[in-house]
Amino acid sequence: MSLGSVGRPWPQIDAVDKVRGRTRYAADMTLPGQLYGRILRSPVPHGIIRRIDTSRALKVPGVRAVITAADLPPNGPEGKGRVPFGPYVDDWEILCSDRVRYIGDEVAAVAAVSEEAAAEALELIEVEYEPLPAVFDMHEALEPGAPVLWPERPGNIASRFDIARGDLDAARRKAHLVLEERYSTNRIYHAYLEPIAVLAEAHPGDRYTLIAPTHIPYKARVTYARGLGIDPGKIRLIVPPMGGSFGAKYELNVCMIAMLLARKTGRPVKMVFDRAEDAAAGHHRPPLHFDIRLALDRDGRFLSKEVRIVATAGARTMWTPPVVATAAHRIDALYHFEAVRAEALLVYTNTSPTTCMRGFGNAEMLFAFEQMVDQAAEELGIDPVEIRKRNAVRAGDVTIHGWRIGSSALEECLDRVALLSGFSRRKPAPRHPPASGKARGLGLAIGHHVSGYRPILAEYDGSAAWVRLDMDGRLSVAVGEPDIGQGLNTVVAMIAADELGVSPSEIDVMPVDTAHSPAAVGTLGSRATIMAGAAVKAAARDFKKKLLAFAGELLGADPGELVLERGRVLWRRGGGESGEREGGPGASLTLAELGRRWAAAHTGSPLVGQGSYRPETVLPGPDKYGNPSPAYPFAAHVAEVEVDVETGAVEVVNYWAVHDSGRIINPSTATGQVQGGVAQGIGWALMEDVAIRGGRVENPNFLDYRIPGFQDVPPMTVEFVGESEPNSPTGVKSLGESALNPVLPAIANAVYNAVGVRIHDAPLTPEAVWRAIQRRREELAAAGKEREAQ
Amino acid sequence: MNRVIRINGTEWPADVPPTTPLSDFLREHAGLTGTKIGCRTGECGACTVLLDGRPVTSCLVWVARAWGRDVTTVEGLGDDQRLDPVQVAFLELNAAQCGFCIPGLLVSARALLDEAAARGWPPTALEVRERLSGHLCRCTGYQKIVEAVLKAAENGMKEMRLELG
Repeated sequence: MSLGSVGRPWPQIDAVDKVRGRTRYAADMTLPGQLYGRILRSPVPHGIIRRIDTSRALKVPGVRAVITAADLPPNGPEGKGRVPFGPYVDDWEILCSDRVRYIGDEVAAVAAVSEEAAAEALELIEVEYEPLPAVFDMHEALEPGAPVLWPERPGNIASRFDIARGDLDAARRKAHLVLEERYSTNRIYHAYLEPIAVLAEAHPGDRYTLIAPTHIPYKARVTYARGLGIDPGKIRLIVPPMGGSFGAKYELNVCMIAMLLARKTGRPVKMVFDRAEDAAAGHHRPPLHFDIRLALDRDGRFLSKEVRIVATAGARTMWTPPVVATAAHRIDALYHFEAVRAEALLVYTNTSPTTCMRGFGNAEMLFAFEQMVDQAAEELGIDPVEIRKRNAVRAGDVTIHGWRIGSSALEECLDRVALLSGFSRRKPAPRHPPASGKARGLGLAIGHHVSGYRPILAEYDGSAAWVRLDMDGRLSVAVGEPDIGQGLNTVVAMIAADELGVSPSEIDVMPVDTAHSPAAVGTLGSRATIMAGAAVKAAARDFKKKLLAFAGELLGADPGELVLERGRVLWRRGGGESGEREGGPGASLTLAELGRRWAAAHTGSPLVGQGSYRPETVLPGPDKYGNPSPAYPFAAHVAEVEVDVETGAVEVVNYWAVHDSGRIINPSTATGQVQGGVAQGIGWALMEDVAIRGGRVENPNFLDYRIPGFQDVPPMTVEFVGESEPNSPTGVKSLGESALNPVLPAIANAVYNAVGVRIHDAPLTPEAVWRAIQRRREELAAAGKEREAQ
Repeated sequence: MNRVIRINGTEWPADVPPTTPLSDFLREHAGLTGTKIGCRTGECGACTVLLDGRPVTSCLVWVARAWGRDVTTVEGLGDDQRLDPVQVAFLELNAAQCGFCIPGLLVSARALLDEAAARGWPPTALEVRERLSGHLCRCTGYQKIVEAVLKAAENGMKEMRLELG
């Protein structure tokens, strides 16, 4: 397939629109008669709503509706009453009925002819709150006597995850070294450039059209339908181009609020968050706390690992339950252990609900574990590359939980990143932090992920796609996984193009719309390229078979003698080129001609090829055993940092990332994924932290919540190694999340290497690093005095 | 004062309240939604347009300040038949992922390249990073954006040399 597009750098097929400013995101769309919606949010972190008076708000000129919990439609059994609902835990309400649980909780909503009128009306809604004691810290929330957010869930436990495998006692008895460490990661903001924006229209018969960003349109509308008490089929969800999400825009309460305002007013309603609202009451990556005990033998082989995790759900449960489950046991698919045990608690606090973000759970655990691997390597006198090789899974392995590793080029990643970064020049970490100036250090970390994850949707795993030729000769592809900016549409167009002998630019990839797309699990868990790509490949093959059979009929040829190339079907055997002649070797028909003739022969129907891909994955039962993903990507990263010893400021000066993602469809967008993932990791490692005081987000803007800018990210070297994945029809694995996963520990290990202090709590702000250096100096001084005294 | 703004070479009546943000006028009155709103506080750079050739964050500029002046938005780069070389470079190198920050970046890059062309030598990578530092991007890690601007500069310089030679 040397003439194909796959494997060559290809511009995103929608890039022309993007660079011309013609891509229409949700906020760019306007529907006739459209109103503007705004949400009144709770100003108190915890309280009982004693009274709501909307009468003054309703008198503001231009206001068309004000809604509160009293306006919510029944969604209970047999269409009666209100019941809570939600994606994982039933603790969503749309609008608060009697109680508010965080600063930002949705209390009322307004629709008006202008944003100004809507804003004015919000100010005039009177709400009387009776404050309740609040709890903001997850550890405090677990204490006996802590304020309880949901009386029906005592102890503030939103969900828990437990897993255990192997004989812990037996494994521990062989230990030569046992490390017990405590780590934590912080709450960060996805900080996509496009604030959350949705448009809703209500139609007769409880039907709705919703234009809203989401990774998971089919799943999202099930949640929305439960909230509204209607059948999911009554919601048509159209996914517009998304200005970034990174996991935040899965299922959004604002969608249901917009639908209800549209129902109440009979007009389309657009709702666009302002940045402060988005940053405070959009959703965050949850903070995680880890207690880890790792036992190793003399050779640095991992024997046992025991983990306790506490994570913050916030006031309601979004997509954080799978985050803590991932944190608890995905590392067991990177390294072998003889025995493992993990328990993870997801805890309510009176803070903004948290949700998933790129690399969820896995990146957090790697921050902790990859630092412990370095610590063990140092204590045992083993090279950091070597200790990882000794413990890492290999191709053909079955892990402790029954996960099957089809391919792994992790060793190659390690060797290559060591070579590129000159890792052998790394000196041992200094025992004493340098007295002044800037210290350089190199840090290594590895990471992995899944390529789709069977438990996401109980009903099925995999993906379906259609390839279609219309009577005007237009070729299009439909998948149900939305492109979230990463270039999925381009990748599926490339895969289809190579099967069909055309250029990717000649293929339209249809926008995802539940009215006509295949029903998909969605773009999450690093699954879109492997799943949708494989489905498209199958659909293209089905399409080609039908097309060649039809062309064979027209030409009087055996389909086996026909080839599809360069936009036409050619009768291959013998003969020269003669497109005019039907019925002999050398004859050909263009796709445009075939589309027209197929439609004429089938009363206007397009020629449609259908395909699907169902990976051989196992839905884990109560024992949580079995392979949940068709393929596992791996990566090895090295960061070089410069630490200013006097201020604690860390600068990443060089970065190398080597990935095994199986076959690479588009090296250009793949490289971009890694660069972007590394930049996000640098931001998280060094700069980003959602500051919550008394339940209030204190930095809901880009001035106080700094994400990396042009001058915060170094030039990065990105390479891909590895072969085609045997368990994947297109040979691909995944990349989006494994790009981010090793970044934090690579930087933290580099900081240790530079100044000899290990930072256990992300982010590694100047203050945190400076304090750790001072502490280390004090410890050394105390130890010195003790020695003198002896 | 004549309440007219010349947008991408075409005169637009702009008889709206003088304190209307220029970004809102462009998006809601002139129908030019290529200019994006990311924060309304001048911190993200997504709404950047050129005012008499100089980049400004249009969310912080009153429409009255633009009366009688030239505004260039992303829609003003290139024409129906042709993309601006900086658009071509962004496209070819996949400097855009989600694309939301790209319109603002493109007009800033255009201004930077115009300055470079006027002085006669291309910008360095460090200069590009410094001059575009008012723009935030969450997807790309910036590297491909820098490469695209440098490539556009190089192509522009080649054209100039051809004209001179």
